[in-house]
Amino acid sequence: MEFQVGKVKNITIHVLPTNRFKTYAITLFAGTPLEEQTVTSTALIPYVLRRGTARFPETIQLREQLDNMYGAGFGFNIVKRGNTQFIQLRMDVINDRFVNSEHSLLNGALQYLGDVLTNPLIEQGGFREAYVDAEKGTLKKQLDSIINDKIHYAAERCIQEMCEHEPYRLNASGKLEDLPHIDANSLFQRYSDWLSEAQFDLYVVGDTTLEEVTKLVEQNFQMPASAKPIQYKPAEASHSVSSVKTVVDRMEVSQGKLNLGLRMNVGYADPDYVCALVYNGILGTYPHSKLFVNVREKESLAYYCSSRYDAHKGIVTIQSGIEFENYEKALGIIEKQLNDMKAGHISDVELEQTKAMLTNAMREILDNANDIAGFDFNKQYANVDRSVESVIEQISKVSKDDVQRIANQVALDTIYFLRDRQEV
Amino acid sequence: METLSYPHVEETLYREVLENGLEIIVLPKQGFQKTYATFATKYGAIDNHFAVGDETPIKVPDGIAHFLEHKMFEEPDGQDVFAKFSKQGAAANAYTSFDRTVYLFSATENIDDNLTTLIDFVQRPHFTEQNVDKEKGIIAQEINMYNDNADWRVYYGLFEAMYQKHPISIDIAGTVESIYKIDKDLLYRCYNTFYHPSNMLLFVVGGVDAEHIIELVKRNQAAKSYMPLGNIERFFEEEPGAIRQSRVEKKLHVSLPKCMLGFKEQAVHKQGEELLRQEVISKLMLDIMFGSSSPFYQSLYDQQLIFDSFGFEYNCSEQYAFSVLGGDTPDPDKLVETIRAYITETLQTGIDAERFERVKRKKIGNYLRMLNSPEAIATEFTRYRFRNCDMFNVLKYYEESTLDDVNARLKEHFDFNQLAVSIVESPST
Repeated sequence: MEFQVGKVKNITIHVLPTNRFKTYAITLFAGTPLEEQTVTSTALIPYVLRRGTARFPETIQLREQLDNMYGAGFGFNIVKRGNTQFIQLRMDVINDRFVNSEHSLLNGALQYLGDVLTNPLIEQGGFREAYVDAEKGTLKKQLDSIINDKIHYAAERCIQEMCEHEPYRLNASGKLEDLPHIDANSLFQRYSDWLSEAQFDLYVVGDTTLEEVTKLVEQNFQMPASAKPIQYKPAEASHSVSSVKTVVDRMEVSQGKLNLGLRMNVGYADPDYVCALVYNGILGTYPHSKLFVNVREKESLAYYCSSRYDAHKGIVTIQSGIEFENYEKALGIIEKQLNDMKAGHISDVELEQTKAMLTNAMREILDNANDIAGFDFNKQYANVDRSVESVIEQISKVSKDDVQRIANQVALDTIYFLRDRQEV
Repeated sequence: METLSYPHVEETLYREVLENGLEIIVLPKQGFQKTYATFATKYGAIDNHFAVGDETPIKVPDGIAHFLEHKMFEEPDGQDVFAKFSKQGAAANAYTSFDRTVYLFSATENIDDNLTTLIDFVQRPHFTEQNVDKEKGIIAQEINMYNDNADWRVYYGLFEAMYQKHPISIDIAGTVESIYKIDKDLLYRCYNTFYHPSNMLLFVVGGVDAEHIIELVKRNQAAKSYMPLGNIERFFEEEPGAIRQSRVEKKLHVSLPKCMLGFKEQAVHKQGEELLRQEVISKLMLDIMFGSSSPFYQSLYDQQLIFDSFGFEYNCSEQYAFSVLGGDTPDPDKLVETIRAYITETLQTGIDAERFERVKRKKIGNYLRMLNSPEAIATEFTRYRFRNCDMFNVLKYYEESTLDDVNARLKEHFDFNQLAVSIVESPST
């Protein structure tokens, strides 16, 4: 699984030629620093770009192009990795051999992506005002709607409280209060800066070559002549905790959401990364993990109780849905699992099961074009040399002592509880 | 072993039905690391009233199929099956839908062991009073979790409004009240009826050898004795053609109201290929009318009546057929009214020919893209198979579809007497 790498202006191109899939999977990663001043306007960019291009100014015309390319998939998402805000544009188009298409669908897809990214509809020196207004409305609804999914909302609030003084507190999709201050011209200005400041990595997985993709990118992407990409600055993975912060929010909910934020103090590029993966697996990723077994299976306190390791930020989060009155009990059991791991109470079975599951998950990456690209990009971003095989090799070598060593670096930072309104 | 090849999509299936009635399908995928296997019973939340042969029919508590799914993971020796799969490097899971319960794993090694584990645990129930009671607290939390989920509530509200008698309107997990009525004897009764091999389908897809897999399953089944099962009869009260009520409203804190429209069809009882064709044409019709590249979608979006959450689907089986459309909207009444006016207009003008061709092409491409995913293939194949349809014929029906088919379906499907609306809004303060 070796990507061929090339460069066209400020886009780094990564191509994996393979005929295992029925499609071409295309992903463009565009990252800029996650910052208070630009987070919202940057997030709004893809919403407006999808509305119209110079070639196809009307949204319907643009979307019809996708239908014509046998329902090519196009979408974007906005995420954060450590200190970086990413706009990710994705396309997925069928390999021509299945449909006898008269035009190359890979060509069509890259033309579409190139147009959307670099050849937008411009009116009076800015974006079309109607598009900007409508998409501000859409992004606003999007931000407002976080509250609808209480599991998601509680997770978001926990991170906000835990990272109060770090850029990571920001939602990658921005802040509501910024939206009224953005207009068609200011957004276009931000877009122009972003096109020059962002680092662009374009991934193509499918039946093609680096030469073909390079040629298509040269033809279809009008990148700025004098780009000044800002180098990625990975987040500081270690962070000391002086005291545990406890936050309770009240709202009309029928189930309490208990979320914990912990400092792992191990980042993606850290030599201990794989040990941290194993730690997190034993703690709470699987049905055999300590959290699931003790909070759910033994005590019937919850339907879900799991942990997640965010390696680019070096933190672990724990989430569970419980009865309000079981708060103390559930918290006690969760804390006991953390302490048991610090004391080295880890069974051979737990260790072996976790290693087997992690190994399987690593291998499965190779079956999914988007996962292959994502894995490769993560290592580019963290600037670390790593392969699926090398991670599997390292997993096999992790010992109980390694896991205990990691456990003793982990510090509980924040306890967040979302519960019902107070009875009066 | 029967070989079924589908050259236009470059796939070949291998099929065998064992003596005990178990059907096995294998789809080898060259170059794939992973193997994905599903072991499914044609038994879901709606099968709550049944009998085998001349048994006295029994009506069981709501949510029992889902409860049974949870309890299957417990083994007679007290072992947890998840732990066993984990040790063998497999990620296992299960889910219950209206009409089926599916157990599955995905793994890149120890495929034989994992497949044996999958079959054995599903064929080895172990219910005790104690382990059944313990599960009630967990499932009660699962039910509460869904109660806080506005998307789920608006969806179920719509079923409630559309269906008067049919158990499709029952929440798959049941209610906190109904699950407390479940005991081990009821679980065994359901198990012995619906988990007989003749009511089940094993689907294996990935980097495997078909002959080897089928031999392995054959040997596994030969070592177990199953008495032939009589015919399973499922009883459903006659569902009136009409909807129950035209509007259901629920209160839950949401940033914007959620509004779904459902059109319930009266003439059901279609089966097999006829059903599949109806599904294909209906999906095509909905996409032409409401897809994100349609002028109507764009006009709703421009009026800020809908956002990216707007969606639609069509669902049909032998017993029910309905479309669902909607999403978040600031003004549910206006959305409903605008959609009604648009449907009325389209019923008169018919479907645009150019748009028909474009969307047809899109659906063909989407279908082919789906074939990249072993998970999607296993899920869809099983779903169709239990309705006596062949998923690989979907492409053919899309290719054969004509503008006339879609226009005929349009007239058949949309009847405003059959329209139900479900809304979730914040409580007024």
